[in-house]
Amino acid sequence: MTLTADHPTRPTAPPLRRDRRRWAWGLGAAVVVAWSLAGAGLFSGDVLNPGGSAQFGRFAAAALDPAADAAFLGLLARSALVTVAYAAAGTALALLLGAVGAPLVARTTWGRRRAGWLAARGVLAVPRGLHEAVWGLLLVNVLGLDPWVGVLAIGIPYGAGSAKVFADLVDEVPRGAYRALRAAGAGRTAAALYGLLPPAAGGLLSYALYRLECAVRSAVVLGMVGAGGLGYQLALSFASLRWEQVWSAVYALSLLCLVADVAGRALRRRVAAPPASARRDPVLTAAVVGTVVLVGWSCWYLALSPASLVSERTVTQLRHLLGAAWPPATDGDLLRSLGVLAVDTVQMSVVAIAVALLGTVLLAGPAARPAGRSSPGRRVAGALVRGGLLLLRAVPPPVWALVLLFVLLPGVLPGALALGVHTLGVLGRLAAEATEELDPRPRAALTALGARPAGAWLYGVLPRAAGPVLVHALCRWEVAVRDTVLVGLLGAGGLGALLASELATFDWAAGTTVLAAVVVLTWAVDVVSDRARAALR
Amino acid sequence: MSTRRAARSGGPDALLPPLSRRSLLAGAGVALAAAVTGCGRSAASAPSGPLHVGAIPDQDPEVLQRLYGTVADAVSAALDLEVEYTPVTDYAAAVSLFRTGDLDLVWFGGLTGVQARLQTPGAEPIAQRDIDQAFTSVFVVNAATGLAPSGELTALAPLRFTYGSETSTSGRLMPAWFLREAGVDPQGFPGGPGFSGSHDATLALVASGSYQAGVLNSQVWRSRSEQGAVDPAVVRYAESPPYHDYHWLLGPQAAERTGVPDLADRLRDLFTGLPPGDPVLELFGAGAFVPARSSHYDRIEEIGRDLGLVS
Repeated sequence: MTLTADHPTRPTAPPLRRDRRRWAWGLGAAVVVAWSLAGAGLFSGDVLNPGGSAQFGRFAAAALDPAADAAFLGLLARSALVTVAYAAAGTALALLLGAVGAPLVARTTWGRRRAGWLAARGVLAVPRGLHEAVWGLLLVNVLGLDPWVGVLAIGIPYGAGSAKVFADLVDEVPRGAYRALRAAGAGRTAAALYGLLPPAAGGLLSYALYRLECAVRSAVVLGMVGAGGLGYQLALSFASLRWEQVWSAVYALSLLCLVADVAGRALRRRVAAPPASARRDPVLTAAVVGTVVLVGWSCWYLALSPASLVSERTVTQLRHLLGAAWPPATDGDLLRSLGVLAVDTVQMSVVAIAVALLGTVLLAGPAARPAGRSSPGRRVAGALVRGGLLLLRAVPPPVWALVLLFVLLPGVLPGALALGVHTLGVLGRLAAEATEELDPRPRAALTALGARPAGAWLYGVLPRAAGPVLVHALCRWEVAVRDTVLVGLLGAGGLGALLASELATFDWAAGTTVLAAVVVLTWAVDVVSDRARAALR
Repeated sequence: MSTRRAARSGGPDALLPPLSRRSLLAGAGVALAAAVTGCGRSAASAPSGPLHVGAIPDQDPEVLQRLYGTVADAVSAALDLEVEYTPVTDYAAAVSLFRTGDLDLVWFGGLTGVQARLQTPGAEPIAQRDIDQAFTSVFVVNAATGLAPSGELTALAPLRFTYGSETSTSGRLMPAWFLREAGVDPQGFPGGPGFSGSHDATLALVASGSYQAGVLNSQVWRSRSEQGAVDPAVVRYAESPPYHDYHWLLGPQAAERTGVPDLADRLRDLFTGLPPGDPVLELFGAGAFVPARSSHYDRIEEIGRDLGLVS
């Protein structure tokens, strides 16, 4: 069993024989999806509510008519600075934690000591299993209004995720250079630094940039719980359903994501195909310097002070929180409802991923930039689809949940679809990138032989893109389980809704129990998806 | 890509530029460390200083929050104090920040005020609006249900029903209480009750018919009705009996922090003495502020415990 990260992976050559395990996994997946759809009430009665189309229409129409008065745009611009600062500082912290943590959870470090490796992975599941918004609420109780709340709320869960991904990347790098260095007498650290790090650098950089875009979106969710920035403005306008203002904030957020995305793409390309000269690449040097300046500015702008992390007040508050949260509540009613809600949560996340995957299959083709020349119509269509995907992921899940509830009856489905369309925005982009990285020759050959575009795509692209896209989808599954906390409050919300209500009523003991259940569920989903990914390779 | 990069970094020494990779990375690291340690402007939790004010209004929060200068300036001018307004949108976060002492003066709802006082011994209610002395909730139904306005809440039991925010007094706590008084299980609606998150969202959801009935703050209902912003599909079904709601709550450490020993009295005088038509009153949709006492909220605390919303 090897592990993969949710970063653009290069497909390996497909095996020439059919793999039984894949059939088993495929069949199992179909059964689980059908079970989840049944749980969402799709086969038992009405789910649509056509009466709400006017309400949904109001939301959609406002997209073409966003609030654009100068005062509001000025407000958004100032808020965007806060969001950027939190995202940059949070990502920097996450990458730092990831770099420090990766050696601790890499197979390379543990070698044959499998139990130790599993334990290390288990420890990582705790910070990763909690959503950024939950981290935010917990940290507010310890640090108060300190800007560290936002930075740590992004940095801790992302750091744990980065540690896992970095470790996987390093583990998957060819061992030759490392073994040669070891054989020549180098120590383990030096051998890893010079034999493993350089070949893994491209993947690490690519993942870091992908993380930055995610962090911008997380900073918005954090704004919704009080960290300020674009998310705060969005939450205010959302509370009184000022859709014009909500859309302006969404466009501002899309713009930030777009900048992060374009910069990331340019850098990745540069790393993949450096200019022929042996001199240091000025673009990469500028990127490194620019990153340092950006992170430094973020720390200054947010007025981050390491002293407040260890101040007396922090220690007192931490003690207060731990005292209230321990021991966890263990009454029978709570435990029973945890079981029921865990099933809801799983069904919700499965429907979300199934919807996102279906959309991805339909949209990844048009969204991918075609290799070589293409007609202007194709380029415009591609840009439109990519823009649409960007908007899908820029609208926060709670907003999706409410507007989908206008046209759907309450239950698991609106929340699941809300997560589904949001995930489609993320997955569609990853899938388009995976498609672009494929070898273009099979498709070109089919086209040259006279195949229609659809046929060439079906036989030249789909078989090779399916693996990487499924790997991404399985990675997003775990994220979807965590994100249910955002859409839980409307209709059937699963564990997320229960957690939100325990936190809102300050029942910390019960909150601890629910948090533990969420962490265990996330870990279980991670293990299952890990096995599935192994079968895919 | 990776192999080429590896080849590049392993190239002959003579071709390397004067600035080596190691010094570039080291320089970047030093610069970052300097930025992180050097930039801790003394902003972090100065023990003495400004009064920290926060509010989570129920109606048109975007208007009030973005015009917070009005409130901050009024307090600042009247008490000759430095006032800092802190934006918060989440009630649980506001209660926590009040406990940690990051917020001194907060505009809480009835239930969140009780939560905050229980977690922060010594906190003191300052003032409430005239309308908060006899605040009500309005039950609304979708016209398609065919229900005619009446005081009979039992007719709501078989409908899909949504509350507002989970810890809202007017959108959750008191309606749930009156429903139970009328013999309706407040959690027993088909499919479980929804929590729309805000009063305007409740209106929109009932208008859509996804939820056939809902309950919201009567102040928001009146204001939306006057603006003509209520969808004709939403019908006012019943209004609850009155109860105490919103109030300004002052934290125990505020007087010491700001160096104003009689801060509570002076704030009370300030709010209750606002002349009719003052911009602050306009913002809060009130005719006047009146003094508030903890005893006003004893009933809310009792009901909160009963419904498991106060622990």
